[in-house]
Amino acid sequence: MTAGSPPPELDPVIHAQARLRVVAALNTLGDGDEMAFPALKDLLGMTAGNLSVHLTKLEDAGYVRITKTHRGRTPVTYVALTKRGRLAFDEYTKAIRALLDTAGGPS
Amino acid sequence: MADDGEPAPSPEEMLRLIERQRADTVRRLKGDPRLLYAPWGVAWLLGFGTLFLHYGLGGEPYLAISQMQAVGVMLSLQVLAGGVAAYGITRMSGQVRGDSSARGTMYGYAWFAGMVLMAVVASRMSPQLPPEESGLLWAAASMLVVGVLYMAGGAIWLDWSMFFVGVCVLAVNAVGVVLGAGWHALLSSVLLGGGFVVVSFWLWRRG
Repeated sequence: MTAGSPPPELDPVIHAQARLRVVAALNTLGDGDEMAFPALKDLLGMTAGNLSVHLTKLEDAGYVRITKTHRGRTPVTYVALTKRGRLAFDEYTKAIRALLDTAGGPS
Repeated sequence: MADDGEPAPSPEEMLRLIERQRADTVRRLKGDPRLLYAPWGVAWLLGFGTLFLHYGLGGEPYLAISQMQAVGVMLSLQVLAGGVAAYGITRMSGQVRGDSSARGTMYGYAWFAGMVLMAVVASRMSPQLPPEESGLLWAAASMLVVGVLYMAGGAIWLDWSMFFVGVCVLAVNAVGVVLGAGWHALLSSVLLGGGFVVVSFWLWRRG
């Protein structure tokens, strides 16, 4: 990073612990994959209500795609990161690294 | 629970958070190695172990059981292991849908097809062979399918440890076939059976 450049701005949608964890988890999935809502909830250790709130914010930003469907008769919801969400996450991690570099690096 | 009101942690913490979340997710999606590797390890350790006691190394059996009984033990343990592994895979595959579950389904069918074809070939050929050679044909052909599919699995999921496990299975298989039925059973039991148990716990601890 060039010294003296202004600190990069952090995406406010992602720059909150809970939503960062959601996006980081979904980012590990392959491009054509979606994760079932209960699996994501268990993985993150959040309550269904809390996760829904964060997913709605991410969906409003166009970062996640939520698909409601049925498996047999039980309704299932699948969550995936959109292209835009993936890009935003990449930008965010880049920005965080840049911040660390200007601060003299980690540790 | 983290919420918007909470002050954002430092960049270092955020980076650590990302890394931890990524590792947790990968670990979760890979499935529990204790369910995927260990059942095969136990099945081969005991199954090939029984076969070995039946063959012996100098042509003298160490245990007075018929080949059919030894093969029976081997096959029932394998079916049991397949059941446990299938349970592990179903538990995994409910979590994600899309390209990766299509991949897993095709891979599952490849196992099924490979094992069925192995059984077709071996049951046609084995009556023509002396008993020891016929037992070796079944064992070697099934381990050939296992080894090749583990290597292919490594290629599909870009997983070097899985690929390497396949290489080891094929190498042990080749050496065993050259040395004969008794050695094949001994090496498969100790190196592959024992090895799979060790690998499964090592992968589990590594996370």
